Amino acid sequence: RSCILVSIGGKNIMLDCGMHMGYNDDRRFPDFSYITQNGRLTDFLDCVIISHFHLDHCGALPFMSEMVGYDGPIYMTHPTKAICPILLEDFRKITVDKKGETNFFTSQMIKDCMKKVVPLNLHQTVQVDDELEIKAYYAGHVLGAAMVHIKVGSESVVYTGDYNMTPDRHLGAAWIDKCRPDILISESTYATTIRDSKRCRERDFLKKVHESIERGGKVLIPVFALGRAQELCILLETFWERMNLKAPIYFSTGLTEKANHYYKLFITWTNQKIRKTFVQRNMFEFKHIKAFDRSYADNPGPMVVFATPGMLHAGQSLQIFKKWAGNEKNMVIMPGYCVQGTIGHKILNGQRKLEMEGRSTLDVKLQVEYMSFSAHADAKGIMQLIRMAEPRNMLLVHGEAVKMEFLKGKIEQEFSIDCYMPANGETVTVTTNPSVPVDISLNLLKREMALGGPLPDPKKPRTMHGTLIMKENSLKLVSSEQALKELGLNEHQLRFTCRVQLQDPHSDTDTLHRIYTHLKSVLKGYTIQHLPDGTVMVESIVIKVSSSTEDPNTKVLLLSWSYQKVNKEATSSKILQQGTDSSPNHYLRKCL
Amino acid sequence: MEETEFDDILDDWFIESLKTYKDLHVYQLEHPTQVIEWTSGKTVCVAGFTSSKNEILELRLPLKLFADENKGLCAERDFKVVHGGFTDAPVRCLRHIPGTRCVVTNDGLSSDLQVWDLGGDDSDVIRRTGSVDGSRGVSEGGSRIAARLSSQPQVLHGAESAGVRLTQLTSGQTVYTLETDSADPLSSLHFVSDAVFLAGCSNGKVYIADTRTSAAPQLSPPPPSSGESVLWWTDASAGPSCLDPSSCRIVRLSSCGQTVISDLRNPGGAVSRAQLDVQTRRCNADDVRVSWAPALDDCIAVSGFSGAVQIYSSSVWTTELQEAQPLFEHRGHAVSSQSDDGVPVFVTSHVWHPERPRTLLSAASDGSVHVWDWVDQSAAGC
Repeated sequence: RSCILVSIGGKNIMLDCGMHMGYNDDRRFPDFSYITQNGRLTDFLDCVIISHFHLDHCGALPFMSEMVGYDGPIYMTHPTKAICPILLEDFRKITVDKKGETNFFTSQMIKDCMKKVVPLNLHQTVQVDDELEIKAYYAGHVLGAAMVHIKVGSESVVYTGDYNMTPDRHLGAAWIDKCRPDILISESTYATTIRDSKRCRERDFLKKVHESIERGGKVLIPVFALGRAQELCILLETFWERMNLKAPIYFSTGLTEKANHYYKLFITWTNQKIRKTFVQRNMFEFKHIKAFDRSYADNPGPMVVFATPGMLHAGQSLQIFKKWAGNEKNMVIMPGYCVQGTIGHKILNGQRKLEMEGRSTLDVKLQVEYMSFSAHADAKGIMQLIRMAEPRNMLLVHGEAVKMEFLKGKIEQEFSIDCYMPANGETVTVTTNPSVPVDISLNLLKREMALGGPLPDPKKPRTMHGTLIMKENSLKLVSSEQALKELGLNEHQLRFTCRVQLQDPHSDTDTLHRIYTHLKSVLKGYTIQHLPDGTVMVESIVIKVSSSTEDPNTKVLLLSWSYQKVNKEATSSKILQQGTDSSPNHYLRKCL
Repeated sequence: MEETEFDDILDDWFIESLKTYKDLHVYQLEHPTQVIEWTSGKTVCVAGFTSSKNEILELRLPLKLFADENKGLCAERDFKVVHGGFTDAPVRCLRHIPGTRCVVTNDGLSSDLQVWDLGGDDSDVIRRTGSVDGSRGVSEGGSRIAARLSSQPQVLHGAESAGVRLTQLTSGQTVYTLETDSADPLSSLHFVSDAVFLAGCSNGKVYIADTRTSAAPQLSPPPPSSGESVLWWTDASAGPSCLDPSSCRIVRLSSCGQTVISDLRNPGGAVSRAQLDVQTRRCNADDVRVSWAPALDDCIAVSGFSGAVQIYSSSVWTTELQEAQPLFEHRGHAVSSQSDDGVPVFVTSHVWHPERPRTLLSAASDGSVHVWDWVDQSAAGC
């Protein structure tokens, strides 16, 4: 079952709320005690997002919202919102009415749950609150399936749900832009498979149908109106035309009405081909496929029938199955997963004797074929999605860690990103590099630009000098002078000094003058001034001369400079070093 | 629906395949492979051959293929990547050492071999565990490898006839070296029994040697009428089905399609011959494969000359060189390839399933891998 909790920027989001179809007891529900030991979940969750209508992604939703308790928003796409309640109700009927379970949600609970749903459109940013925003992307897989982009501030996560990277006959392929989320969360159930081509699956389907028809048998295909029914119909119609076959093909009217209704409603969710077809004509208008009447089931000779519901748990498909099960020439093709408790599930497990109502037994002599047409991304698909979204980190869920080391290594190598594979119940912490936006004052910007050099670039940052002021929620970068002004402080200047002793019998003034003349001759190109206040200035370095108190022949040179940029200081020392190199005043040199 | 869409869905080959194949599975690897090697009855190894980074994958075949009685109830049609690893060089030759989880590879650039551990249940990563030195001074094409059939992990390898050695994997010691008068570049090495092996040379010569003796190997000269630029490939029917090594047969295939079958009892002679139509537009020595069917009598598979794998029944061949028609042709790779640059796809490798009589795996230059179980339309023959 899929149910993932994400904490991002202080927000808590639940991704999917699925049921584990293999368990009969409470283990089938997600363990909500990870959120809180007792009490309702409303205060702990900012929102719930459901990716698509499959029960292992939404099956526990009414239980969570109505029996554990959650009153916040539940987000899902429009088709998911329309289809979920149907599947949940079907599922509830099977579990409660057929299997007699008690700790389960009621029909009313499903209705109440759906009232909390906020529908999503593709590529539309929805503000859950003033900090959390979400956006849905097309995932392929089934009608209405979405991948979700969740953003809080500058951090983001993308959850894929189930998706498919190759388009099929009625759905397109998943697509996402280069949104560069901090984490991409993907299912890894099929991550280590390489999928057999759709053509071969279809070939198998046609082969089986053809073999049955050829020996005079009847073929029952129980379908869910919005599943592969349309695709399989197109396939059979084409085949019949090509091979000039005469056996009748039927679909039950319930199926066509529902399917047409939903496809019309959600036309933008199907692929180009279907849309074109729909525009031209009714989707279920075929030359060789006709509407079914229940009396036809008793007609002699070969035929193919598409009937609902898909798991043989009730209705027309079950009625037809009961009639045809006893003949070994016949066949039933199950195109998808069947929930425990249904006849579909039992026969797919090899059961050949079924207990029906009124204690009668049904001998299952017909051929049972299980075919999987569901579209999932495989190893190649995951790599394609990562290439599309460019996440900074990868998270694979629902796989066994030892069976995914290779994929982890592959992802890490090819994309240089970290790949995590937490087990159920495990918490993974991913550190992100949030980008902090800072305003810069125009003056400072102008000053930096005036310094020349290359323009700053995300790949080649440039150091600059400024002061960062943080006031409430804003961050500002201003020049030091402006900062001092804003803070009402005076500017202080640091000066460094250094004392050098040298032997010189001349007077202070003469020594100074000699130093001045000497420096002027050797340090060409630098500004050297002899100031009236008795100092010599080399650029910004000040030199003063005084006599030592003990010995008038020992002169003390005081050098001082202000703290400026590092390189300026270096230049200063270099200048003086050059200037004194040729003089016997090696003390000066040593000092510098 | 438009006409083109009809054709899109159901082309001739697809319709035909309903009757001509029992099972058919089509896969697309990320990168093409030149090697397919059984590592168990249900798993194979494939590997890339680009000049930089490549993957070695151990794939488990779809469960549906083996389900037999319960086939209908099994929906699993996919390959499962059970183990994977990385290598920095191309993989031109890959051999599994029977009784171990070890494979040995050669990159086609030197004669040295790389040794790998495929891994068990506790990890899905294939790791490099060591290497085996080859002889110095090698010709192009790298080394051929054969694994000893018995429980001793020993590997036979070499790029040329002179210098083929049998190396003990655990110690790295050379247990046997083949000495021949000339150094002929090899196209393959095969063990026909635990101690006897064949060295098939690209010039058509076949050396037969016994690792237990130091006697000179027997030489089967190249078949007549082979010119200078003609290349030859060899396969030997061997293994547990061949109890008497001397009753093993050798098939030799030339780059112009001439095929000669000889018997180990009379290696110089020919039991039968045929001229195959190999449509040589181009012929990459690396890709051609000829193999005996392990579980069918007298059947040979040929691939590498085009986008098809051809199956021939040699039981109808005679000593006269005559044109032979294939019993079956798998054109799946050519038909389903979507090559944009106009370069036709060609088959890079094929293997027979060791027990299932008509099941083969084939790989092509576009990265496709097919698993197919063909139907023998003719009543007689294989």
